[in-house]
Amino acid sequence: MIRFFCVLLLLILGAFLFQFYLPPVLLLHGASILIVPSLYFYGAVALPFPLMLALTLYTGLVHDLLIVPQAGLRVEFPAGLSAVVYLLPGLVMHGLRPLFLRYRWTWHLFLAELSAALTPILPAAHYIILSFERGEFFYSDAIIWRILGPGVMSLVIAPCLFFILTPLAQLLHFRPGLRSVS
Amino acid sequence: MKSSSILALLAFAVLVGLFVVLPGGVKQQMQGSLLQMVLPVLETGASMQAQIGGMQGGLKRLDELERENRRLRLENEQLRTANSMLRGLEDRVNRLAKALDFREQSPFRLIPAHIVSRDNVSWWNCCVIDRGRANGIATDMAVLTESGLAGKVTTVSRNTAVVLLVSDESLRVSVSIEGTQEQGIVSGTRASSNYLPQLLIRFLSKTAAIKSGMKVFTTGTGGVFPSGVLVGTVRDFTPRELEGVATVRPSVDLANMHDVFVVSGVK
Repeated sequence: MIRFFCVLLLLILGAFLFQFYLPPVLLLHGASILIVPSLYFYGAVALPFPLMLALTLYTGLVHDLLIVPQAGLRVEFPAGLSAVVYLLPGLVMHGLRPLFLRYRWTWHLFLAELSAALTPILPAAHYIILSFERGEFFYSDAIIWRILGPGVMSLVIAPCLFFILTPLAQLLHFRPGLRSVS
Repeated sequence: MKSSSILALLAFAVLVGLFVVLPGGVKQQMQGSLLQMVLPVLETGASMQAQIGGMQGGLKRLDELERENRRLRLENEQLRTANSMLRGLEDRVNRLAKALDFREQSPFRLIPAHIVSRDNVSWWNCCVIDRGRANGIATDMAVLTESGLAGKVTTVSRNTAVVLLVSDESLRVSVSIEGTQEQGIVSGTRASSNYLPQLLIRFLSKTAAIKSGMKVFTTGTGGVFPSGVLVGTVRDFTPRELEGVATVRPSVDLANMHDVFVVSGVK
């Protein structure tokens, strides 16, 4: 389990860096392609609660340190806050862990698509926090697409990642579903 | 709920609280350390990205040559591949020559830097450059290209620095408009990105005679940005109830810039 957890930590860091080199989808008003949420949601649904929390803290912190400019005097988005943002949809996924442990591909597909549906919560939450901090809330087509677009693209990305991560977990002797059967 | 889960939740809350209340300077140091740690990966990623871009350009040229000279295609394949690579190099040489020329002519002391990563995934518009404290870079230094203002440095580590780009909403620059007495504050919008930058000048007078195509320069007020640096050109001007607002097309191609200069002082 710990081995898989460590591999997931590395994959998430790698995905954060890889995302920097993915161009935004201009057809969707410049929406980004996000890989990290799918990886995180897999961890949230597959790992036991304490490790899921550790993964959430790690993902949130790496997100803030790699992506959010931490300008000295006036920090508008303090590092660590993203952990709370990740926690909310993460808890939803973790609540569905019993479905994951049934180990049927249909449930895994459902969970992958659900994770894609939860992906827009992350940019939306960041946007809301930022809007409160900057004291002005507005929306436009571009903003709506930049929130929803990553979710649309995750509908394709998440199932692929879920079906890659499950064999990877088994390869690392992490078989939560199978263990419960035996 | 199991007691281990409650303990984990408590530990999570305490750690998040600790990180959130950490002083800004400590967070900047943490960010700098993390960027320093992943710099080799970012540099490799940037060079791979450049190679992939070069290959795409090369393939286009090969296609064109193929139509013109189908008979010699196999025979010349190697030469044409080499040629495409040389053209990629030529582009780079031209770009660097332009940059060098700019550096020599500029009245500022400039530190050249290469962009190793660009943030396209969040509401902040920033990039990471491969120069840091060891090269004399400090926070709040202005960042330029030969085309104009690019942004300012926010976080510095030993060999990297984070640059907040001019398209970001939180970066505000005092500007004046060419041929007028008008001064205002330019900033990006929240929907702005490097690929689709949207810049607005606020606090202009409602009756200002501002026309499309007028150039926008920094005023130097505030001390962070030197005066007289081109920011962009006016796209349109709208008088509102209390102020006039102009939209600006940035002079720097933020999505495709590769090399920048950090202003470390005046010559």
